Amino acid sequence: MQPLANVTPLKPAPRAGAVQINGISQVFKTSGADVAALSEVSLDIKPGRFVVLVGPSGCGKSTLLMMLAGLLRQTSGTILINGAPIDKPDPDRVGVVFQEASLFPWLTAEENVEFPLALRSIAKPERRAKAEDALKLVGLEGFGKRHPHELSGGMKQRVSIARGLVQDPPVLLMDEPFAALDEQTRMTMGDELLRIWAATGKTVVFVTHSLTEAVYLADEVVVMSARPGRIVDHLQVPLPRPRTYEMLSGDAFGSLRDRIWRHIRKSA
Amino acid sequence: MKATTLRALIVVALIALWEILPRTGLIPELFLPSLSSTLAAGWNEAGEYGSALGVTLYEVGISMVFACGGGILSGALVGSLARPRLLIMPMVSSLYAVPLVILYPVFTVWLGIGSESKIAFASIYGFLPTMLATAAGIRTIDPQLLLAARSMGATLTQRLVRVVLPAAIPTVLSGLRVGGALVIVGVVVSEMLISTAGIGYLISRYRTILDSPHVFAGVLLVLAMAVAFNAIIRWIERRCAIWQTGTRGGQRAADEMAAGATQPAT
Repeated sequence: MQPLANVTPLKPAPRAGAVQINGISQVFKTSGADVAALSEVSLDIKPGRFVVLVGPSGCGKSTLLMMLAGLLRQTSGTILINGAPIDKPDPDRVGVVFQEASLFPWLTAEENVEFPLALRSIAKPERRAKAEDALKLVGLEGFGKRHPHELSGGMKQRVSIARGLVQDPPVLLMDEPFAALDEQTRMTMGDELLRIWAATGKTVVFVTHSLTEAVYLADEVVVMSARPGRIVDHLQVPLPRPRTYEMLSGDAFGSLRDRIWRHIRKSA
Repeated sequence: MKATTLRALIVVALIALWEILPRTGLIPELFLPSLSSTLAAGWNEAGEYGSALGVTLYEVGISMVFACGGGILSGALVGSLARPRLLIMPMVSSLYAVPLVILYPVFTVWLGIGSESKIAFASIYGFLPTMLATAAGIRTIDPQLLLAARSMGATLTQRLVRVVLPAAIPTVLSGLRVGGALVIVGVVVSEMLISTAGIGYLISRYRTILDSPHVFAGVLLVLAMAVAFNAIIRWIERRCAIWQTGTRGGQRAADEMAAGATQPAT
């Protein structure tokens, strides 16, 4: 038991969370042999940072994210968020945004955003007010009454982000949130996410396959190797903010992306 | 011409033919009595048809509860648990192919020729498709939705009530549509086979004395019952499953967003 965990904090809880991953390993038991998915992964994320995980398919980056969300239990090692361990989903500390299609199609955008609040029996007026704020934040004011099938792919993902943020968790996890979107929408959504991030100051852990997206969004890029997943590089992105489209063709951007690509090519 | 007007015209034409063909003698009245004589026959014996309709509706109602309630419950169970699914599903699927009407004489031996045997037969008749559809509906729920609900801290009960149930509604409704129709078939057919009451019994009794107008009056009533049932299901579908309709709305919404010009169109 952590002695400090039960002490009432003197100042209000920070809106951005610190994430500490200490020596995480994951072994999946299969009928044949045990498969090591993650091996001794350690990572320290400071509050308010935008961290992107990249790596070849099967490197366990999504597995790691599921552990941070409390949806999957690691074989060994600890995960601390704001000093307390994560062993089950805790929407107060962690919001999750999945790939497309995780909105409930029978609920309106508004009701989808309210869903995590409804689970905790928060009164309707308060729920509605919070959902409206969250939808406004993601630029969907006035679209609350629409059902998901009446929204475009990018708009659905905005609703997902609003749902992830509605409880004001210090950490936002994003599992390839823009993978299903077309190129143009993806670019716009990247800029939108950076705007929302700047406005809320959350710690973001973002998984993607796209190296360009990784460098464009991140403060730090964590590169993982193929199975068993290990961290092979952890690089800082020194590009100034706000990020602009012109940076994509700059030398600094290119050399960062090349460096990540070399790691991935080596391990894949 | 619009499809709806065309459809209405076809119905009107059929009704007109039903009146004209027997009247002109092209079809003997014994084979097809004219619509007016059918309606008159039904009207003259309104009391008899009314009480028969009461019996049939009662049997259909109770069977509906057993077939649909039981079908949905057991379908949900079988759909969500792997072990019963492996044990039961192959049996149920092959049972579905058996013409269950062969069981009806057995039911009359067990339960007599009153309403009980009809209810038992129709319940089982409608139960299978409802159960199969519900099980399929539960199994095809997007696991991402359940994962998302878990990430938001939903308990098992909350996941069942707030995710599994609403997600399964469209498939369950299509099962109800088939199951409910079979319940009506089951009741009417069993009444026609061995019975002392109900519309099926009237149809079969008037048939033996070659009273075609009265036979067709019974047929009309069964037809009306099936149409009414279908309308009810359609109404429920419209209320519960709006979200299933159409996927073209997304682009329209994105265009609107662009027209508003407050946000990039994504």
